[in-house]
Amino acid sequence: MSVYITSTGAFLPGPPISTGEVEGILGMVNGQPSSLRVQIQQANKIQTRHYAIDAQQQTTHSNTEMASKAAEQCLDRAFLDRQSVGMLAVASTQGDLPAPGMASMVQANLGLPAIEILTTHGICSSSMMALKAAYNSLLVGDHDAAVVVSSELSSRLLKKQRYEAATESTFAAKRIDFNTEFLRWMLSDGAGALLLQSTPAPKGYSLRIDWVRGFSHAHALPTCMSVGSAGHPGDERTWQDYDSYADAERAGALLLRQEVRLLDNIIRMGVDGYLRLVQEGVSEPAKIDHFLCHYSSHHFRSKILEMLDAAGVGIPEDRWWTNLYTRGNTGAASLFIMLDEFLRTDEVTIKEGDCILCFVPESGRFNTTYMQLTVVKH
Amino acid sequence: MNPHAQVCLQHLLRVWLGFERDLSTVPLLRRLDLGTYTVEDHLCLLRNLRQQVIEGSRWITRTASSFDRNYAEIRSTVIAHAVDEHRDYELLEKDYVASGGQLEDILGMERNVGSEALHGFLMYRASRNNPVDLLGAMWIIEGLGEKMARSWAERIHELTGLGEDSTRFMTYHGHNDGDHMQRFYRTLDDVCVDEETTSAIVKTAQVVARLYRLQLEELNHDVE
Repeated sequence: MSVYITSTGAFLPGPPISTGEVEGILGMVNGQPSSLRVQIQQANKIQTRHYAIDAQQQTTHSNTEMASKAAEQCLDRAFLDRQSVGMLAVASTQGDLPAPGMASMVQANLGLPAIEILTTHGICSSSMMALKAAYNSLLVGDHDAAVVVSSELSSRLLKKQRYEAATESTFAAKRIDFNTEFLRWMLSDGAGALLLQSTPAPKGYSLRIDWVRGFSHAHALPTCMSVGSAGHPGDERTWQDYDSYADAERAGALLLRQEVRLLDNIIRMGVDGYLRLVQEGVSEPAKIDHFLCHYSSHHFRSKILEMLDAAGVGIPEDRWWTNLYTRGNTGAASLFIMLDEFLRTDEVTIKEGDCILCFVPESGRFNTTYMQLTVVKH
Repeated sequence: MNPHAQVCLQHLLRVWLGFERDLSTVPLLRRLDLGTYTVEDHLCLLRNLRQQVIEGSRWITRTASSFDRNYAEIRSTVIAHAVDEHRDYELLEKDYVASGGQLEDILGMERNVGSEALHGFLMYRASRNNPVDLLGAMWIIEGLGEKMARSWAERIHELTGLGEDSTRFMTYHGHNDGDHMQRFYRTLDDVCVDEETTSAIVKTAQVVARLYRLQLEELNHDVE
């Protein structure tokens, strides 16, 4: 019994936004240009990205709409009657409604009747959690087809009004608050969808899922990327502990934060998980034809890549492929948006039997997830 | 590198990455991550590191003397290393005083429970003939030296307001540059030529990683 990705879809809202236009969309906080924007944008090297808000910071597409559009495209491209879809799994860092789960809202939009649903909550790796659950559902024979969608609308967290309202936050107090601004110039919006089936598509390539694995290190490492805490050392309160949501917002507890100092741990744990899979014999570096990584190679300190090369398990740079630089870092949605374009791009020649290693690290509290796919024909 | 040395390096990388991750669970080091590390914490850390540094120079010299002439190359490397580092504890003592501590307090410290275990293990392994497994110990201890320089020293200044003279011992060890790694790879390639040696090196790295963390968990806060 095998499970195959037989169709993909993606949705990126609005036009591509160039690096210089970003602050015009997200807005200048208190009318002042950011002193960190250029530095952070140069470091992440992203050239264009998309936002589901306009230059007045008004939402143009809800998260549910974006997820639904990606799923519609995926299903429109499939050799499958929609009624055969038995499960819908949806991943996002934050749905439009805190409750109910986003899968309910996407199901309603898609009009898929009486299916099993799953909403996974997390950050980047929530997409792999949803994918693995759907994969397992097919493996045990509960369903023959499942749609997995991941969608992110982070610009609503990053617009100027969020920062202007945080009048008593570290952001307001410090001249430069790198941890609070870092993700503002990093993340953008979009959605991706995959169709999983128990048989390959009758035409074209399908991707057989060989395995999906994940290793979380929250037991040892502190929180690195979060929303809900004001970011003061020793202050354990989270957003709902404040007397009012307005108090929480003023304190900066609703701002998206990255403990930049801890970020290296995600690279280290990513390498550790990869070496673990190699040692278990699950992954064979020599057989990897394409490496799709949610981080770009330039984020890995060259030293650790040199060590992997010295140890004989490095993946040559020409096998890495990403669309991060043109589609932006869309968090949980990024791998599915990447897979969708990878199957269509002229930059890479894909052939039957090719082995694809996918890697989605999540810095939230250090979850690293991996998947191996093999290109097959019916 | 030969295939055994490559597999050994893969395992050593995992031992190191696990060690580095688990250091984050050590209460005093977690305070570095959470931003609550104090001058008192720093004094406590330096007091407890000193004995390990003093004993460090002893196991390295013992290791050198345990290699016979068939291992002359690695013996030269180890001797050079011992010369480099055998008086490092004096730097630690200066850092302690510059951080506001009393010299007699750091001089009067005993080995903590973890330092006893670490020192005991290292002297035992160093006393065996041709103790090539101690490459695993060097991997961990050198790696930690580099980590102190790369990620602890500046953070300590930021959180405590102490100056650079409080962390000279830590920054002095940030010499794990490209050349250094190339030398390590060459040595590994020379000595790690079978499965038995691979597992001995990896095992010693695992034990040293665990006992080093024990030493940092068992920080003795009392000043005699």
